[in-house]
Amino acid sequence: MIPYIIRRIIHLIPTFIGATLLAFIISQLVPGDFLNAMRLSPDVRPETIARLEQSFGLDRPWYTQYFLWMGSLLKFDLGQSFGGNQPVSAVITKPILNSLILVVISLIMLYAIAIPLGVFSAVRQYSFADQVISAISYFGLAIPNFFFAQVLILCIFLFRGFTREYFDHNQLLLPVAQMTSSNYNELSSLAKFKDILWHALMPAFVVATSGIAGLTRILRGQMIEQLSSDYIRTARSKGLDERKINYKHALRIAIIPFVATIGALLPGLIGGAGLVEIVVSWPGITPTLLQALTAQDIYVVLGFLVISTLLLMLGNLISDLLLAVVDPRIRYN
Amino acid sequence: MRKVLLGIAVLALISVGLAQPFVWPNAWIADSEGVQMGGTFRDYEVSEVRTFNPFVTAESTGVSNLAFQGASLLTRGPDSDEWLPYAAKSFTISDDGLVVDVVLRDGLVWSDGTPITVQDYFFTYQAETDADVGSNSYDSWFIGEDQITLEITGDNSLRFTFPKSDRTALGVVALTPWPDHVLGEIYRSGAAEALIAAWGTEANLAEFVGSGPFIPSEYRAGERVLFVKNPTYGQWNVDEAGNALPYMDGYNFAVVESADAALNLYLAGEIDSFSPRNLDDIGVINVAVQNGDIAATVLENISPVASSQFITFNWNKASNPFLQTTFRNVDFRRAMSYLTDREAMVDLVYGGSASPAYSSVYAVMDYWINPDVAKYDYDPEAAAALLRDIGFTSKNSDGILVDAEGNALKFILATNAGNSQREQIAQIFADSAREIGVDVEVQPIEFSVLVDQLLSEGDDRPYDAILIGLTGGNRDYPFGSNVIPCGTNLHMFNTSGSCIAVEEQLMTKLYYQGRQSLDTPTARDIGFQIQKVEAELQPIVYTVSPAAHYSWLNSVGGAHPDGLINSIVGSREIPLTYLKQ
Repeated sequence: MIPYIIRRIIHLIPTFIGATLLAFIISQLVPGDFLNAMRLSPDVRPETIARLEQSFGLDRPWYTQYFLWMGSLLKFDLGQSFGGNQPVSAVITKPILNSLILVVISLIMLYAIAIPLGVFSAVRQYSFADQVISAISYFGLAIPNFFFAQVLILCIFLFRGFTREYFDHNQLLLPVAQMTSSNYNELSSLAKFKDILWHALMPAFVVATSGIAGLTRILRGQMIEQLSSDYIRTARSKGLDERKINYKHALRIAIIPFVATIGALLPGLIGGAGLVEIVVSWPGITPTLLQALTAQDIYVVLGFLVISTLLLMLGNLISDLLLAVVDPRIRYN
Repeated sequence: MRKVLLGIAVLALISVGLAQPFVWPNAWIADSEGVQMGGTFRDYEVSEVRTFNPFVTAESTGVSNLAFQGASLLTRGPDSDEWLPYAAKSFTISDDGLVVDVVLRDGLVWSDGTPITVQDYFFTYQAETDADVGSNSYDSWFIGEDQITLEITGDNSLRFTFPKSDRTALGVVALTPWPDHVLGEIYRSGAAEALIAAWGTEANLAEFVGSGPFIPSEYRAGERVLFVKNPTYGQWNVDEAGNALPYMDGYNFAVVESADAALNLYLAGEIDSFSPRNLDDIGVINVAVQNGDIAATVLENISPVASSQFITFNWNKASNPFLQTTFRNVDFRRAMSYLTDREAMVDLVYGGSASPAYSSVYAVMDYWINPDVAKYDYDPEAAAALLRDIGFTSKNSDGILVDAEGNALKFILATNAGNSQREQIAQIFADSAREIGVDVEVQPIEFSVLVDQLLSEGDDRPYDAILIGLTGGNRDYPFGSNVIPCGTNLHMFNTSGSCIAVEEQLMTKLYYQGRQSLDTPTARDIGFQIQKVEAELQPIVYTVSPAAHYSWLNSVGGAHPDGLINSIVGSREIPLTYLKQ
């Protein structure tokens, strides 16, 4: 096992270099650079642009820029953002943590909702409830997250109109934007925690919905397969409790394919929650990355890329190892 | 002891009495009657806050404008472009325009209570002109290769010396100081490197010392920036009734990732003002007001925005001599201007909330706009006649105009993909052109590719025609230094490096002439001539300017009077804004 892990880690090095080199080349293929916006200004002096090009190193050939960047990367320095004289690590840390909050909450929601639903659907196969769950699942699978978030925001506003008319209560049910309330600083730590949770509820649910659909469907299929197998019939004939059969025997086997995907969750955790973050103004990875992409602040973009490449490689390794733990047929030598 | 204290108190009173604060005129706000104190304004900011260091900042956002506002020597009111003495008690410009002498107002104070002196201005000048600091203002201290200098000429007087007379350089006299006793110390002990490292977003904002109405007190990345009232600002800033400014106790920005999210916050009643981008936003706000969700004022179509949108034809196309000759022909460009159905663009693209544009000067700068220039309003027959005159006399089997050599009149009009308004404007132009037999293919392309093509230089550039816009510029002389003169990088139709048409030469000459003149009416007369030549040459065909809109909750007071609100001066002065409780 240990030599296998070491071998895998050694293999990661060329992969990592290849990935970053490719990303760097692609970022250089895009026409223009960070100073483009400035070049389109009627009154910025050409001297200003020349001075900034030099200080950002944009006047050097791309391979020189790459080696300089790689050199600093080996010292665990992700480089400097062009905007505001900040190190890239400072620019990307906060968004990564903020996205993590949203993604973790949505993952909890995802498993808490999808696993019972999947089991239920399998046990009550073809019942009316199963069909309703299927229909809702397909709906969740089909609707784009950013659109669903907007629909929910609209519902929250409509609900306010409704409650005002009938209950004389002019408050929004849930916050529609941002991660904290405006009085966040005056709150106690517990209230701060609750405040963020309160703001995360709607976007996290939106992110979870697309996953719920897929997970429920796959788990249902797996469970149905297990429930019709011989060992379940044996267990039933021994007179075992139905709940024990479902959760202790069938589910444990049915869940194995999901373990293999846990490794893929790791980069997903910092991949951010996607466009939902923009719709509800969650200060996460997606808005920061998009801003960096449009401004061509390349080292910020590459910073995110380095982190997610590392996590992807690590995640793959972990899920391979986990698979060996849960499935006795797999051995690494 | 008591007598001494009393003496000090009396002295203090006398000195306060002697110090003449800057009086903010009642005429700058619409409702000076109902002024109230206190409260916190809740604004929003769509872009990320990058720094609180005045020597590092490179952008103009709501947050940076407030954080870096302060005891600038000069200022401008919403009612005029003329410079007023602000932190200066007075200023005089020598007859040759080369020397500006400034006398400092008495009683100027930093937010930490330290008096503001000429040394603070001098340190700021030193830091801004230090190439290693790399301040965004660095280049504004130069005219060509020569530097504008600042010297201390007395306890409270400063002298700016200009290498030559230049009205666009006068802005440097409006120097905003930074504290010598804080940043100056850092600069002297750790040089440029230490100065740049100070006051970043990670820094402790308790160290921030400024001279503006509000001082940043807390920053949460991607969430909000909080400002508190500068307690010393009111010592030298008062309203006509003698009230110390600012009226409010705080000013907060919610940092949002998109204007849509800001609109949602506004509809939820969580921010106090919102700038509607278009009629859709206004519709949504109006519905919310009707439903009683929020009580808000909506100002629609207040003024054109401070930006331009135009079609530029490429004069440098050596690889296609036919198109190059055509694009260089003034009658062709006039015909294209005739084909620009600006009214249709206003109605169809902007639902009526836009205005036709005819000049490189933004329509909102009405003082500088020459009303008597050739306009070439939509007239397809006149366009067809002009094209006939330059040899496009017959049509081919596709109905496209051809010249005697059989060259069909067709070209590609590129614009940035994803900007649906520009795509529509380009399509309206192409449709009108097609009607008289000019084949215009609209090609939306990626913005960075488009900019790359636009900024390309030399005799053979990659595009035919581009529809794009410019924004930014100068209130002292609204003619782009990178746009009008030949050989500059935004002289978009011809970047060969030298003038091709004699009119270009004339415009270049007039541009520098007007820029030299410190007398505003003279500069405007020259500006009028530039516009006249420009209109006749039509090197660039201007299309339409969308309108700016404003909205704020009715609990907010202190907006400019209606006639003074426009996209350059905005809707209010922050020190004069108040909240009704």
